[in-house]
Amino acid sequence: MNRRLDLRGQFTGLFWLALSIVICIMALRLGIGSLHTPGPGFLLFWSGILLGLLAIVLRLLDYSKKKDKGRTIDLWKGLRWHKVISVAIAMFIYILLLHRVGYLIMTFGLLVFLFRIVERSKPWAAVVFALITVIATYLLFYVWLDVQLPRGLF
Amino acid sequence: MVGRSTPQRIVLTVGPKPSREVPLDILNNLFQGFHVIFQPDNILFCFLGVLMGTLVGVLPGLGPTGAISILLPATFRMSPTSAIIMLAGIYYGSMYGGSTTSILVNIPGEAASVVTCLDGYEMAKRGRAGAALGISAFGSFIAGTLGIVGLMIFATPLAEFALQFGPPEYFAVVLLGLTLLTHLSTGSTVKALIMGVLGIVLSNVGLDPIYGSPRNTFDILELGDGISLVPMAMGLVGVSEILINIEQTAAPSILKTKIKGLFPTSLDWRNSTGAILRGSVLGFFLGTLPGGGAVMSSFVSYGLEKRISKNPETFGKGAIAGVAGPESANNASAAGAFIPLFTLGIPGTLVTALLFGALVIHGIRPGPFFIKQHPDLFWGVISSMYVGNVMLLVLNLPLIPLWVKLLKVPYKILLPLILLFCIIGAYSINNTLFDVLVMTISGIAGYLCKKFEYECAPLILAFILAPLLELNLRQSLLHSKGSFLIFFSRPISMVFVVVSIIVLISPLIVPFFKTGKRTASLTE
Repeated sequence: MNRRLDLRGQFTGLFWLALSIVICIMALRLGIGSLHTPGPGFLLFWSGILLGLLAIVLRLLDYSKKKDKGRTIDLWKGLRWHKVISVAIAMFIYILLLHRVGYLIMTFGLLVFLFRIVERSKPWAAVVFALITVIATYLLFYVWLDVQLPRGLF
Repeated sequence: MVGRSTPQRIVLTVGPKPSREVPLDILNNLFQGFHVIFQPDNILFCFLGVLMGTLVGVLPGLGPTGAISILLPATFRMSPTSAIIMLAGIYYGSMYGGSTTSILVNIPGEAASVVTCLDGYEMAKRGRAGAALGISAFGSFIAGTLGIVGLMIFATPLAEFALQFGPPEYFAVVLLGLTLLTHLSTGSTVKALIMGVLGIVLSNVGLDPIYGSPRNTFDILELGDGISLVPMAMGLVGVSEILINIEQTAAPSILKTKIKGLFPTSLDWRNSTGAILRGSVLGFFLGTLPGGGAVMSSFVSYGLEKRISKNPETFGKGAIAGVAGPESANNASAAGAFIPLFTLGIPGTLVTALLFGALVIHGIRPGPFFIKQHPDLFWGVISSMYVGNVMLLVLNLPLIPLWVKLLKVPYKILLPLILLFCIIGAYSINNTLFDVLVMTISGIAGYLCKKFEYECAPLILAFILAPLLELNLRQSLLHSKGSFLIFFSRPISMVFVVVSIIVLISPLIVPFFKTGKRTASLTE
């Protein structure tokens, strides 16, 4: 477990460091200007430098704490984290197809997925809850509040 | 596109102080405010706000920040006054509701009620749930009302004082706000600073505030006006909370106790009055500090009550002062948090940052001129808080059994519905799926941040404050021909910058002194 946390600490430290380098390059491309006339990339550049320094400090602190304690907790143990991934994928598919298929069908599908797969409702309950919710939100937002929900196929 | 608007350019005010006008007649303005709040639509939105606030306060998992970010798009069609009245109602309403779950379930409904679990739940286990809930509601009402009085008294003079501010002063205040926020965050200071820097970086997407040229847009049309605050906040706060709840396996169990005696006894009042008053004053002033907020106020109040109590050993075992003090402090801080927002245009907490976003979306920029330019809105919101506090007292005392029943609503129904409202809310901002995509990506990022113990509040606050920070920094440097001494040559900015530096280096120095003391004592 310590090895896993060590890798996690190294990964986050390296991630912030790499990000700080990317930010500095972006800032230099924009032009940081001078102290007399700060350019569009001025604040971004110094933010990148600060992020890099903080990444190093974080790594050093992480290392010293580990030496002191030597005991860590697993962030994912006993949790349904795989459900979070499935919800994220479902959301991306929903965004990808919403304009083509339309609000009614896509939202019904998403809700059945959420009720049935994620929250383990009974199949009939998932379908009924999803149907009621889709109709109610369509009436509320599209008909009553004039929100332009994507129509898609219908 | 509704996004972050570029901050107004602030002209450097060097020279004589602006002339002071005749002090505003507070009572007259308050009367005008009551005229605003008693308009049918405003009173309805005030009621809806406090009702939803109580609801999100009662339900563990969804806090006021999540609820406000989700409901922000729904306010776009309202008048600015109605919108802020409703959103403010959610904020202080959640402070009332949060105690219910702390006392009955031992799970705080929102972060500011964490400390209420210590003695509130103990009281409930000893059959005194009614007294705990009652003193919590009365304490919240008294502190909330005192907090509003403080807001009325201090807001106008502070706004007049802020008229002396030029770019160096604004830069210094924003800098102090950001450093205090990261310093006072509950987790690691370094991680909070990283999130703050990330917020500044994200705010650099969009148009340059001085040259007007596009920056870091990657040729994406939707990024031309910058990353939209609302979907980003909805994702980081609301969607991430939903994802965290989805992965939890255990459902909260409610303590089976009969709730009776909601009206505290004379002994309860004797033991709580001091705690309520101290909590009110402490909470209000801590609430005005950037980064202070309700969570810190409640913890400091609890510590204070325990320290000055004649029976400190009773704390943690059902001491009523341990419920009254923190609950009063978090309600008073909710009122105090409006002061930097309304007078300086600087949100000190995540909730006020979202309210800042709501005001900007409605074309209103909070700052020193806000009270003079929008008296109806300011005094309307103040009056709505008085009315809202009365509504909350009525909602919280007789309806406690109803709120307890609400705790039994299965999350498997609630979570998909909240997620759907987030999607519709994000989409309805500009009728574009890009905002839904921003919300989803922010939601996943927020979830990962929570897993790795990074707080999202510094990121959002820095994202909002960074344009102000950048513009005033660059204007100051242009004016001083590149000399940083401009921040030390003006007294107000010097004080703020020096305090910021002290706050920044204190985490490095304090442990050194502590180690020195420990070594000295060991040597002796």
